[in-house]
Amino acid sequence: MENKQLNSKEQRQVLIRLMSYTKPHKKQMIFAFLLLVLATIGDVIGPIFVKIFIDDYVAPAVFPFDELFLLGSIYFFIIVANGFLMYFQSVQFQVIALKIIQQLRVDVFSKVQKLGMRFFDQTPGGGIVSRVTNDTEAIKEMFVSVLAIFLQSGLFIIGTFIAMFYLDVKLALLCLLFLPVLFWIIKSYRQFSSQFYQTLREKLSQLNTKLNESLQGMAIVQMFRQEERMKKEFGKINDEHFQAGLKNIKIDGLLLRPAVDLVYIFGIIIVLSFFGVTSMNTSIEIGVLFAFVHYLNRFFEPVNQAMQQLSFFQQAIVSASRVFQLLDEKELAPSQEESPAAKITSGRVEFRNVSFSYDGKTDVLKNISFTAEPGETIALVGHTGSGKSSIVNLLMRFYEFDRGDIYIDGQSIKTFPIQEIRKKMGLVLQDPFLFYGTIKDNIRLYNEQISDDQIRDAARFVQAHSFIEKLPNGYNYHVTERGSTFSTGQRQLITFARTIAINPKILILDEATANIDTETEELIQEALVRMRKGRTTIAIAHRLSTIQDADQIIVLHKGEIVERGTHQQLLSKKGLYYKMYLLQNGLSENMVDAVKE
Amino acid sequence: MKVFILLRWFFKQERKSYLIGIGMLFFVAILQLVPPKIIGIVADEIGGRTLTAKELFGWLLLLILTGLTMYGLRYYWRIYIFGSSVKLAKQLRTQLYDHFTKMSSIFYQKKRIGDLMAHATNDIQAVQQTAGAGILTLVDSIATGGFVILAMATTISWKLTLISLLPMPIIAFLTSLYGKKLHKRFRVAQEAFSSLNDKTQESISGIKVLKAFGQEEENIASFRDQSEDVVRKNIAVAKIDSLYDPTISVVVGLSFFLSIGFGAKYVVEGSLTIGELIAFNTYLGMLIWPMLAFGWFFNIVERGHASYNRILSLLNERADVKDQPEAVELVPSGDIKYRVDRFSYPNTDRYALDTIHFSIKRGQTLGIVGKTGAGKTSILKLLIREFENFEGEIKIGNIPIQNMKLDFYRRAFGYVPQDHFLFSTTIKENIAFANPNASMEEIEEAAKIASVHEDILSFPNGYMTVVGERGVSLSGGQKQRISIARALLLNPEILILDDALSSVDAKTEEAILTALKENRKGKTTIITSHRLSAIQHADLIIVIENGKLVEKGTHEQLMTKEGWYRDMYHQQQLEMEVKRGGSSSNGK
Repeated sequence: MENKQLNSKEQRQVLIRLMSYTKPHKKQMIFAFLLLVLATIGDVIGPIFVKIFIDDYVAPAVFPFDELFLLGSIYFFIIVANGFLMYFQSVQFQVIALKIIQQLRVDVFSKVQKLGMRFFDQTPGGGIVSRVTNDTEAIKEMFVSVLAIFLQSGLFIIGTFIAMFYLDVKLALLCLLFLPVLFWIIKSYRQFSSQFYQTLREKLSQLNTKLNESLQGMAIVQMFRQEERMKKEFGKINDEHFQAGLKNIKIDGLLLRPAVDLVYIFGIIIVLSFFGVTSMNTSIEIGVLFAFVHYLNRFFEPVNQAMQQLSFFQQAIVSASRVFQLLDEKELAPSQEESPAAKITSGRVEFRNVSFSYDGKTDVLKNISFTAEPGETIALVGHTGSGKSSIVNLLMRFYEFDRGDIYIDGQSIKTFPIQEIRKKMGLVLQDPFLFYGTIKDNIRLYNEQISDDQIRDAARFVQAHSFIEKLPNGYNYHVTERGSTFSTGQRQLITFARTIAINPKILILDEATANIDTETEELIQEALVRMRKGRTTIAIAHRLSTIQDADQIIVLHKGEIVERGTHQQLLSKKGLYYKMYLLQNGLSENMVDAVKE
Repeated sequence: MKVFILLRWFFKQERKSYLIGIGMLFFVAILQLVPPKIIGIVADEIGGRTLTAKELFGWLLLLILTGLTMYGLRYYWRIYIFGSSVKLAKQLRTQLYDHFTKMSSIFYQKKRIGDLMAHATNDIQAVQQTAGAGILTLVDSIATGGFVILAMATTISWKLTLISLLPMPIIAFLTSLYGKKLHKRFRVAQEAFSSLNDKTQESISGIKVLKAFGQEEENIASFRDQSEDVVRKNIAVAKIDSLYDPTISVVVGLSFFLSIGFGAKYVVEGSLTIGELIAFNTYLGMLIWPMLAFGWFFNIVERGHASYNRILSLLNERADVKDQPEAVELVPSGDIKYRVDRFSYPNTDRYALDTIHFSIKRGQTLGIVGKTGAGKTSILKLLIREFENFEGEIKIGNIPIQNMKLDFYRRAFGYVPQDHFLFSTTIKENIAFANPNASMEEIEEAAKIASVHEDILSFPNGYMTVVGERGVSLSGGQKQRISIARALLLNPEILILDDALSSVDAKTEEAILTALKENRKGKTTIITSHRLSAIQHADLIIVIENGKLVEKGTHEQLMTKEGWYRDMYHQQQLEMEVKRGGSSSNGK
């Protein structure tokens, strides 16, 4: 995805799609374009005034004050007005560009929010972030500078030619000769530079990869005494990068400014020989010569600028193709076949013969069936990889299951509107995640229907109130760096409050295993008991001590239910649960027996 | 400007390139004056209708020659000056890389890799800019600016020069004013952008929470607000940024206005010809660039200075582990006597190791066990001389380890670290890392002992499979075994496995241990492990707790004692059962 080369057809498609983003801003675009046209007219018309001044007044040496004053004032007015026009069109173009990028950003971000968890499993987070921000930023460069400069340059060149034709048709026709020459220069520059520039970027990325890897593995490099070899390898890439850099300098030197400056000299030669030859036969207006020289002086600057933007353009196209690739991503979240009236009322949860696989090959859940009656607590127990978390993932509709069905209050989970599921099912994750913003924001989590009082009540309910109140600014305390100023336990309590604030019918707990200090531990256990009261609870238990009072404990192994029953029943079975229990309680004497059995 | 003094060494080294390049720049600056002059002279002759074909041809020839010469010079000064600056970047990169290879773990614990990368990329780029564009803008603005003004004043009219240059300082004044404002607003915009970045990051890390609470739409709305904020702040930047061009064009227009107005007056008075006026105007147009360049120059140099200072301070970091002057060139072998009384990591006051005394004979196997963080790895780190500031003494073959040159010392070791780090190259090259010339047989032999040969063959490209490439993902256990093979390839005097079997299953572990026993006959092996099964057959087992040695002996001896080792042994037996699904009946 990173280094993919686009052929010219793909490039064009990307560009067209990118351009479609300008549609909503058509009016502003036209306005900005008009400003630009006016500014260009002002730019082009100045030398004509000077020409009139020189030919009609200076050459014959007549100076009627009134006329000259008028001429001077108009000229001056044009300069100043032109300044304003340039300013406003430039701002206008940038505003449009920024708005387009914002739209693009929101589009990508919305898309990302709607993608299924599968997508996030497969794609590194850093990559997604850089699609949303950095790549769109590169596209912004294109809209802000490339587009504006291309338009400006194009218009200026057209305007200049119109003025030239107005002044002298023959000479203007001669000057048209530059266009193919310039076109050829630009084309060959583009061709070579895009190739060389690509190599340079590749070498740079190799260089960075090598460096990054060496830094990470430096201990290994040193331990195996490969410093000299690594230095040599790095030196080789470094040298290749250097050579690529030199090549770029050369191509820039051959075809960029120096070449365009040379074309300028030839332009002067054409103008001088034209006037020179003409002057040998007839008298000419020296002012026209002035104007032409003036146009030539300024004609090539926009060409230079536009050529320098070419690499940005290339970059923007690559970035845009990556963004569009993400926008076209098909890995969406599971869809619902909702009937709008479906409501979760009592909270009965049933898994019936559910099978599920992440990769479509190996089932991580095989034929899972269990029922949680309203208000009951079901505990899921098992080793890493046994399938506990997968059950929660399916229940939360993060993933689509393959076979079987999940019923809530006797209806397939797919028939409920997703918002109903989100409202009635509260999830507490193992790793308490806090967002930027205040404590209040974190408990409310954008849900404006939750009042400040409800937030307080929720916090009181889970016993987080007392420590929150002690914070500076209390509930308005700003969480920094994902809440690293809080202990894990405190963070856990805040996320409890977040769940309780929506008052769910069904509670899904992925119990924390992280080291929590004993004091908060007690609070947490107490809060959990309170939260579970009156709610159907599905709990993943890492520590068996916390779920001994569960109505049913389900022991999973490799995606299958191997044991089920209450704590006492399972203990007396002396099976897997019993062994796990011994292990966790450190009853080493019993362990010896257990192993021997 | 100080940065030029700091970079003196480089300018000295490249003085030929710089002298030639700068000389060319000056020459171009002078040649640039020719075309406008010719235009002026020819224009006058055209106006006066005194131009002859021969004269015109002569002038045009001169123009072509000037143009071609300038083209050549412009091409070559770029190669001399910009080429040198790219060379500087290359040299700095090499310097940094060399330096990085000398730094020990302490350095890498202190610095974040991201920061080091930033120094090696952004900072070097800024210094490169200084040595390239910095020199160019300085020389060019002085040379072009100076010569043009000189030409205007001496060959045309010093009065007109003064008058028309009058508005120019306004540009300098206004652009520096804009510059300050722009800088401020730009920073605000950057901050907004980076918090948008954070927001995105957080929304992806917290995607599960957002989905669980069904707050995707609300989160999108909040993202929209934030991105609108970014737009607002960028518009504020655009409003200043857009001032530059119009300001310059108005002021330059004013200059032209003055030059034409007053120029016309001089033409009528007879002190100036129209041709000279045209030439003058062309010169005037040539002054815009040097003025802008001068502004850029300060910007570039300021950035370059800060960056070069950061690079220098990095290069000035001293290596912590170095050869002592009297160290000998000896590859250690023999019995290991480990007598460490106290060791704490730099900048900590807790003892990482406290009175660790043991010795093993050459050819024996040592097992080190204990909980995570107990100090197992610290024991090894002192042995492989990653750290040296400990109290006590470690001897191999009766020679204190510091008395041997590091490069020779390390030849005795094959080390398999806890975090199995592989390079993103082929598996073959990874195994042959320490000996790139190893034969395929040797490589396969090492892989077989590490029980990873079969795994490797099952990949589509076998030994040529590139680690970390899309499509093939190596499991943690496979990576571990490849790094074991990497160490085995050396057939080292002392092999160290630092918890290197943690991700392999029990059966494979047994296979590796059996193969090792055969392969390591007569050579010393040190294994640290969580799992006791990995060290059960060691000649000596030491149990570490909180940096202290708490139990010592063979498996049989330790099993008779009521202590950590025995408890742990039983516990792990049971854990194995649970992992297998609890069916103890079909166990052994």
